[in-house]
Amino acid sequence: MTRKLAHDWYDGTVPDHVAFDDTNYIDTSYYFRRFRSSVKDALKLGRGASVYNNTVFDLGRNARVEIGAFAMVNGANVVCDDAIRIGDHTLISWNVVLMDTYRAPRTLIERRAYLEGILRGDAGAIKTRARPVVIGSNVWIGHDCVVLPGVSIGNGSVIGARSVIVESIPDFAVAAGNPARVIRQL
Amino acid sequence: MASQDVQLPPNVRLAQGARVTGLSNFKRFLSQQEGALSVGERSVADGVTFAVGAQGRVAIGRDCYLNECILLAEQEIRIGNYVMIGWNTTISDSDFHPLDPAERIKDAIALSPLGDHRARPHVTCRPVVIGDDVYIGPACTILKGITIGARAFVEPGSVVTRDVPDHARVRGNPAVTIKDDE
Repeated sequence: MTRKLAHDWYDGTVPDHVAFDDTNYIDTSYYFRRFRSSVKDALKLGRGASVYNNTVFDLGRNARVEIGAFAMVNGANVVCDDAIRIGDHTLISWNVVLMDTYRAPRTLIERRAYLEGILRGDAGAIKTRARPVVIGSNVWIGHDCVVLPGVSIGNGSVIGARSVIVESIPDFAVAAGNPARVIRQL
Repeated sequence: MASQDVQLPPNVRLAQGARVTGLSNFKRFLSQQEGALSVGERSVADGVTFAVGAQGRVAIGRDCYLNECILLAEQEIRIGNYVMIGWNTTISDSDFHPLDPAERIKDAIALSPLGDHRARPHVTCRPVVIGDDVYIGPACTILKGITIGARAFVEPGSVVTRDVPDHARVRGNPAVTIKDDE
């Protein structure tokens, strides 16, 4: 598999730690400008999975992201230092933020040290806490949503546009709002 | 990090070690003010959109990290030291159009290709002030006239319609103070 995308407008390549094949579609290697993970298969795309729009894979050194079969990521900002899993047939709309870490230590001294690290160009100098995010299969997330660290979204659920998911959502639920609440079951 | 440096307007002042990088956008940077944008020591603005009106100013302190956020200043946005601002967060010191329906019709006409931009009705602006050590997550909206106190933590996706006290943690739309469980 060539690391150069045939249709790419950006002069770059797909990082070695991305596992994909001819059944996948990735619009451009620009999505990987913040990709720093050195884990084997740090990003794994299932059969027929696709990535479009203004997606960013902002992956820290030990991050793993898995995107299920036939899932469509249509412009998400994936901020990951540990693990984010997206199930099969899941549809993710534009400007969605999926984050397993705030990348901001809560104590003043650590926060300042962390910031100084980033500004020096050494993002890994201070560890920040991460809690895995699990998005089930057949989930549909509307545009401009935010999924916070440690949250899981059950299979078949639908998340309304501009919702902020602060706690886990069960299977086959419709949730909406900021903070999001379950408003009905499917 | 995308690190190509952008072409900066002449009235941008970068302190030592400050960087404006990525696909930073100055297309709507119209300010004629001296030092319309100042960026403090070591601060990084990566892919930030600076939409600054003719009278607008943006001042960013030192050791800040702004990541692909959108700053709209008709008057003033002042950001302290050690501030982090996330992706797609919008901060503006103006509502840009009048609330009054009749005034808004005048504004629409003045803005149209047939109109005269100088005939736009007056819109009140109020400065936005962000204190030291503030964290503002991705996808937030900070409205005009807001002051965010030092060390406040604004959860991702919040819409901030009222001032945030020092040390507070806020979330939601509208953003309200929540218990800090960490």
